[in-house]
Amino acid sequence: MNGIIFDIKEGAIHDGPGLRQTVFVKGCPLRCSWCHNPEGLSPRMELMISPNGCTCCGSCVKACPKGDRLLNFGKPVDCDACGLCVAACPQRIRRLAGEAITAGALADRLLANAPYYASTGGGVTFSGGEPLMQAAFVLETLRLLGSGVHKAVETSGYGAEADFDQFMASFDLVMMDLKSMDDDIHRHFTGVSNERILANAKRLCAGSTPFIIRIPVIPGVNDTVEHYSAVAELVSAAPALLRVEMLPYHLTAGAKYAMLHKPYTPGFDPDCPVHINQDIFAQYGIRSCVL
Amino acid sequence: MTERIRQLKQFFVIDKAHHATRFQSQDEYALAEHFKQKGLNDLERATQRLTLMMAAETPLLFPLERIVLTRRNPTVPSLFTKAELDRIKSTHKLHERGEVCNISVDYTMLLNRGLRDRRSELTISAAAFAKAGEKDKADYLTMQVEILDALQDLCNRYREQAIREGRQEIADMLTRVPMLAPRTFPEALQMFRILHFAMWLGGNYHNTVGRLDQYLYPYYRADIDAGRMTKESALEWLEEFFLTFNRDSDLYPGMQQGDNGQSIMLGGLNTDGSDSYNELSELCLKASLELCLIDPKINLRVNHNTPLDVYVLGSELTKQGLGFPQYANDEIVIPALLAYGYEPRDAYNYTVAACWEFIVPGRGMDIPNIGAVSFAAAMQKAVAEQLESTTNFDALLTAVKNNIHQQVLENVKAVQNLYIFPAPFLSLMMDGCSDSGRDVSLGCRYNNYGLHGTGIATAVDALAAIRKYVFGDQSITKTELLHALERDYAEQDGLLAKLRFDAPKMGNNDPEVDDIAVALMDAFADSVQGQINERGGIFRAGTGSAMYYVWHAANLPATADGRHAGEGLAANYSPSLFARLKGPISILQSFAKPHLTRLCNGGPLTLELHDTMFRNEQAIQKVALMVKSFMDMGGHQLQLNAVNRDTMLDAQRNPKDHRNLIVRVWGWSGYFVELDKEYQDHIIKRMELAL
Repeated sequence: MNGIIFDIKEGAIHDGPGLRQTVFVKGCPLRCSWCHNPEGLSPRMELMISPNGCTCCGSCVKACPKGDRLLNFGKPVDCDACGLCVAACPQRIRRLAGEAITAGALADRLLANAPYYASTGGGVTFSGGEPLMQAAFVLETLRLLGSGVHKAVETSGYGAEADFDQFMASFDLVMMDLKSMDDDIHRHFTGVSNERILANAKRLCAGSTPFIIRIPVIPGVNDTVEHYSAVAELVSAAPALLRVEMLPYHLTAGAKYAMLHKPYTPGFDPDCPVHINQDIFAQYGIRSCVL
Repeated sequence: MTERIRQLKQFFVIDKAHHATRFQSQDEYALAEHFKQKGLNDLERATQRLTLMMAAETPLLFPLERIVLTRRNPTVPSLFTKAELDRIKSTHKLHERGEVCNISVDYTMLLNRGLRDRRSELTISAAAFAKAGEKDKADYLTMQVEILDALQDLCNRYREQAIREGRQEIADMLTRVPMLAPRTFPEALQMFRILHFAMWLGGNYHNTVGRLDQYLYPYYRADIDAGRMTKESALEWLEEFFLTFNRDSDLYPGMQQGDNGQSIMLGGLNTDGSDSYNELSELCLKASLELCLIDPKINLRVNHNTPLDVYVLGSELTKQGLGFPQYANDEIVIPALLAYGYEPRDAYNYTVAACWEFIVPGRGMDIPNIGAVSFAAAMQKAVAEQLESTTNFDALLTAVKNNIHQQVLENVKAVQNLYIFPAPFLSLMMDGCSDSGRDVSLGCRYNNYGLHGTGIATAVDALAAIRKYVFGDQSITKTELLHALERDYAEQDGLLAKLRFDAPKMGNNDPEVDDIAVALMDAFADSVQGQINERGGIFRAGTGSAMYYVWHAANLPATADGRHAGEGLAANYSPSLFARLKGPISILQSFAKPHLTRLCNGGPLTLELHDTMFRNEQAIQKVALMVKSFMDMGGHQLQLNAVNRDTMLDAQRNPKDHRNLIVRVWGWSGYFVELDKEYQDHIIKRMELAL
């Protein structure tokens, strides 16, 4: 079973209990305008180029099979991520985002350090991208990890109900985003309807898998009393809800877009201060925190 | 923090308003000229210098303060004229400035007794020595009496001034101390201030504080139990006390501002296996957390039973960006010190010197920073001279080990005929020194020397690259590599990139790399084994760098890890500055592998963590978990920095906006804007990890 990932971060501290190894799977059906992992969007390999350190030596141009059509960032419009320029760049400012890997190889890599993470009360977290987009690969990896590893997932909840059910059955902890309860706003800022997401959120609320609701708090988009109240209303009766976490928008979110030669057009005012409101959750008897 | 403490901090540390009361600087050598004309010997000079310095101080009381003594005279004169110093240096090895420094005295030898008691003992002993015809010893003790008298005079002048100014509390305190033993925690703090003040006046420096939470604990406990003090009032006293370390510290000698050695060690295992971490240890952490000052520098002894809460409190302190606490692992350090021959009572009582060298209070005249070995130079020399003719990697590795051995021998040879200036006041707080009439500068119970080891990651990375590319896949020829190294990779961008960025690096938990580190560090430990110094002590191998990471880098040609000629080495025990690493856990795993009980002179693994990693309680808890895990894996010493590269870059551009930005340099914390640019740049270059 093959999958594509774009990073394994070690010692992650915000992705579940203890210290964790976080696997970032590549590919996401959403296009959130605040996304800070743009290399996680496409399910294909991509060339990334750091904006600093280029000496204009021309090695990449020579190495690229499409070298006559390089744009000013040193990447052809129809780049197929062959990687020849990565090895040629003497400054090593180019890299390929994406690694094709089998579930077995990924599980082996994670298991090599599993005892360390277990000793801190941690484990493995799948993030992305959207893990539901590679549900079979993720589930196979989980199976190979065995029962001794604590498993968590960070998901948008945008996926087939059958896959989501399997996630709920296979993960020890689900961290799911609720970006907007208003379908129009959701469509506008993420490119998709929230219908599936809300359906899956209801399954999560009815189930017994421990879960955390996460709100990426975006200024002027969802930092409203209405949104917080609607989220609280939806999840307040869920027996397995641990807490609601709010993740305020960070100005550095746009940092990686230039590296992919993609424009960063957030569609909201990123300089606007965010409104955090934990009182609403307290009123519903829900624990909340700000990350 | 109370309003009073806030105002004192504003006055002494931020406004430095007391600086205006200082005398003019004087010619450092004028007194020595006078000494020379009078034909005084070194001991007479050391004594007279100190008594004159004390006599010259005039009392200064500042509003709101309750612990007094502020230095007015900025100049500690040299004992010898320049010509005399040159002559001494032609026949003797002088360590640094020649003065006794970087040791941990046993304050309780005076603090728990009071000067009067000690004075009468000294007088009796002096008479006994005189009677026995041992005039030198009698004279020595008599000089110590003179020093105590001068110190008492100074404190009397403060007392009289306090009375004149109607500062009854201060006057009462000085009626008791230093003449009589303190009865309360505040009196003990004032007594310490007096002793420490005198040490600096006497020209001794890197005057470490030691296990403050242990020797002051009885005073603390008694006051709490008797209801004379609450935890809150104790914290206020402690905070004022901590402020005293920042009053005159700009006058203390050091390589850079901040390098003054005022280190404190908290907690630690007792010989019976119990943990000495107590309420006062915790209050010290809290005081430091509230004050956010570079002094005193906090060290924390931990063991496998240390509760996570202690690490959490430590991590909250790290979050302040002070660069401490620095953690020391009793499970490694104590066995190491026992193996070095320290008695259990001393091994369990260890503290740190100015930076991180493990020393013992009151009994050690160790010189843990007497020299240094450069792993990087040992590697570079082997590559330059022997790679060509070497047929396999093991032979090259052997050549490196031989070079390490050679450097150890050179270090051992270079420290013959050591001369240290007498320190009659410090000797009063060193075991056996004054009873025997023998100055501590001549030695104490332990007289071991320590050698730092720099550039381990550079050496290991270069060798790992050679093993992989030259002897392994043979993608680089020996000639190609040697040629590139000679020419500092000129026009070899491709080769440079491969070695610099693609090659395996120490800090990635890669067994193919880390085994080289184990081998080189074992070789260092093996090489010092059996070497005895002229004072009968041993040599201890260490993982620190002090400023050698700068010195050893300057003349080092290009290395096979893709490092340019002259490019910096990492400070202390750390990954290479440009290594691309998987993350902090791999670093901890790699650096826990070497046999650190054999290289336990001191020198921490240093990790730079982005300050956003500390943004909430949950995150701090996890930083604490990470620190604990390094200790559980067998790490010896760890020091974390919460840093932000952007802040530092801005501080270089706009120093005025960042007066209070504190950074860790090599074994001490300082104000970023007060450092030379060379040090600033190095800190900016260090890796910064975000989780």
